[in-house]
Amino acid sequence: MKRLLAAILSTVASRALPPLVFGFFLLLYIGVAFFTDETLITLMALTRNSVILAAILALLPLNGFCRLVAEAAAELKRRRALSGKSSRVEPELYDEAVELVAPASWARVEERLSSEGYDVTLAQGGLLAARRGGTLFPVRMLYLVGMCCLFSGILVSLVSRGVNRQAVVEGAPFPTPSGNGGMVEKISYGRISGLILEKSLIMEVAGSDEQGGQKFGIYPPGRFRGAFVYPRYLGIALSYRLSSPDLPGGAEERTALLPLYPPGKEAATKIVGTPYRLNLTLGKSQDGSDPYVTGKMTFLFKLLKGQELLLTGSIPSGGEFVRDGYRLAIPDSRRMVMTDFVYDSGVLLIWVAGVLCAAALLLWIPLRIFFPRREMLFKSEGELVRAFSRAEGGRKRHAGVFHELLDLLEVKEKR
Amino acid sequence: MTALKLIPHLVAWTLMVLLLLRGFPGRGRGVTLWAVAGFAVGTAGYVLLSRMLPVKIPLEIIRATVGVSFFLLWVVSVGALYRSTVRDFPLFGVQRLMASPFAAWLSAVAAGLVAGGICASRLPGIEGAAAQLLAPLLLALTGALLVFAARGAERRLTSSLTIPPSSLLGALVALLLFSSSSILLLDLFSPLSMKVMKGIHDFVHQFMESILIPDHLFIRPPIWRAIGLLFGKEVGFWGGLVIWFTPAILLLLAVQLEPLPSVAQIRQGAQRRRVQAAAITTKRYRLVIPLLALTILGMAVYQSSFPNVEYWDPKPLTITASPGGELFIPRKGEVPLDDGKLHKYLYKGGGKEVRFFVLTSPDGKLTVDLDACAICKPDGYGQAEGMVICYYCKTLIPLETVGKPGGCNPVPVPFTEREDGVHLDAVTLVNSWSQTVQATIRTGKEMGK
Repeated sequence: MKRLLAAILSTVASRALPPLVFGFFLLLYIGVAFFTDETLITLMALTRNSVILAAILALLPLNGFCRLVAEAAAELKRRRALSGKSSRVEPELYDEAVELVAPASWARVEERLSSEGYDVTLAQGGLLAARRGGTLFPVRMLYLVGMCCLFSGILVSLVSRGVNRQAVVEGAPFPTPSGNGGMVEKISYGRISGLILEKSLIMEVAGSDEQGGQKFGIYPPGRFRGAFVYPRYLGIALSYRLSSPDLPGGAEERTALLPLYPPGKEAATKIVGTPYRLNLTLGKSQDGSDPYVTGKMTFLFKLLKGQELLLTGSIPSGGEFVRDGYRLAIPDSRRMVMTDFVYDSGVLLIWVAGVLCAAALLLWIPLRIFFPRREMLFKSEGELVRAFSRAEGGRKRHAGVFHELLDLLEVKEKR
Repeated sequence: MTALKLIPHLVAWTLMVLLLLRGFPGRGRGVTLWAVAGFAVGTAGYVLLSRMLPVKIPLEIIRATVGVSFFLLWVVSVGALYRSTVRDFPLFGVQRLMASPFAAWLSAVAAGLVAGGICASRLPGIEGAAAQLLAPLLLALTGALLVFAARGAERRLTSSLTIPPSSLLGALVALLLFSSSSILLLDLFSPLSMKVMKGIHDFVHQFMESILIPDHLFIRPPIWRAIGLLFGKEVGFWGGLVIWFTPAILLLLAVQLEPLPSVAQIRQGAQRRRVQAAAITTKRYRLVIPLLALTILGMAVYQSSFPNVEYWDPKPLTITASPGGELFIPRKGEVPLDDGKLHKYLYKGGGKEVRFFVLTSPDGKLTVDLDACAICKPDGYGQAEGMVICYYCKTLIPLETVGKPGGCNPVPVPFTEREDGVHLDAVTLVNSWSQTVQATIRTGKEMGK
């Protein structure tokens, strides 16, 4: 049982596991591509609905975590050995390990190492440790934690993401499943000079019974009762009234939520219970200003009956159009933002992963290039001395110094 | 002419045998016999299958085999790199398997089968039973002679040139890809580029949705244009190149990153340097074959990007609508519509220029389609070898499926077929163009697709 557990642990922590998992999903992707053009979406749906596929994907964060533990343990052992706190040195943790006859004194070795820029420490028990440069261990930890977060985030996002698309309308309650969000007091949209964003969108929501007032922007998206508020596109919520010669009682007020932004974009609404259809466009302002920003909106319309075009014209918000017995009025129009309420805990993990991996990369480059860690350890055991060496960079030069030091001593036996 | 077309394929075959002989030293006789047998069976198999079944099927079998071998090369190259950099990378008995005669014979026969099939696909359709038999026989004989020529050449190669199994596989697959890339229906690079383009598009779109990045409406145009670059065919091409060359580069890295032998136990500096210098020299020789594979893969990309195929792509004829808004194309005009070729037209109306074509499919049915698909930018289609090709993404579409909507197929347009010819509604045509095609031009709302 113990051996089985050890084998499972060593498999899960193996560096061969990630390429195997990636290869498996790549194969699956290729297989799916034979049947559909929507390959990635299909693969995501398959993974979401299959416990086995989700479990295979879960091997990636698990592998990251196991590697993190294994590498932390190895680093701890090396540190203990270097500081002389541990009497046991494991050769597998070093690039090279050699057994030699112990010298009478470490003075020459110490002198040579110091001249090469190594920090040398002599500890009790006949131990000489030399190190140079900064260790990449913290960077590696950052990277591994980042990878764990990334793949955990992807997994969580895949299997648990829920999206609820709702229209946020100025002057209407903030849409929530329970219906008791505060009133949307204002939707303001304007130009900003950001590095990435050039528009700002702020939805100001008054306090409700449960929560105080809140403002929701574009990025990073705000949160409302556990959901990310993710604005997708802009539109207009308008009320209109149509009466026509064949609809004597048809003058009831109706509301439509239309994706009319940017100006010039056409959207259609079928007038339910009638043969009429209304095609609307948000007209461009004469002065070049954005009607969505200023709130001064004029709508260009086409009234159709089946395929037949009956009327075309324009109506300002609050106005009406009358001709040939037809009367079309738009008493009210309000800004509307079609918004996704995204329930997804994976997003936070993916963001954290992005930050950690970026930090790891920024630290790795200077450390690896300019101050790579190089270590040597000489440990006396009776008449013998065991020598160990490892380097995270600058291996050739480090190996040269190590070999020269060994030349000062006599080889007892090859490891 | 056929002999000329066969030359690059036969050269590739000779090189394959040469590499196999050097890659499996001491197994020359077995490799020779199995290579000859594989080539002969591959040639005969292709000829038989292409007579019994539609020619697409044996070609698909060859393409799938080459595709699988490329995937295998990927697996092996990643494994080789890991083996070089990870001390305890498990090999699961692969080394023992590669040292067995079975591996040599299997490699020789598999390479022979595919190479024979590819060469046979270049044989022209000849009238007469005797001629039909003679051409494959001559090809098989030539293949066998080249095997023996390769065996002679192999003996003259320097003994320092050794080929590890991973590099051998790399070179063999590169030669197969080179050989198949000159044949439109066997080429893998163009479809790979297309798949990469679509894959990157889907990935970026899903990634942006996943981390809740806002739509183009809120983002600065230069940033959005930069993101839009990820949806062009150029990204597909460069991404395809990365996938194409990476295995060979990984093989190079695997050799390069292989640690030098430990010399810590040698107490003479000169001796240490000698051992390491010898190891470095061996390493350099081992880089030759992955470098060769890299070069051959580059040649395959060139062949795929500039195929020696002339597409039928007539200049669109401008037509006008009747006062009632009807477009009419006569069945027996200057060029008859039932000749099985693309007939392209241009209609200007409603402020738009609409390109469309009329085609009679192999089963005799007329179809009218936009000269564009619902996915790519409207670069149009050309016709070659029972296919039409989307110029933008290089997707090959069999003539039988033209007229069916979806994917990269040309967008079908409703029309009426009468005795005199084809009638279609100009407004419907313009709307179809506007709704479907215009959406693919901008990199805005849906970012391409």
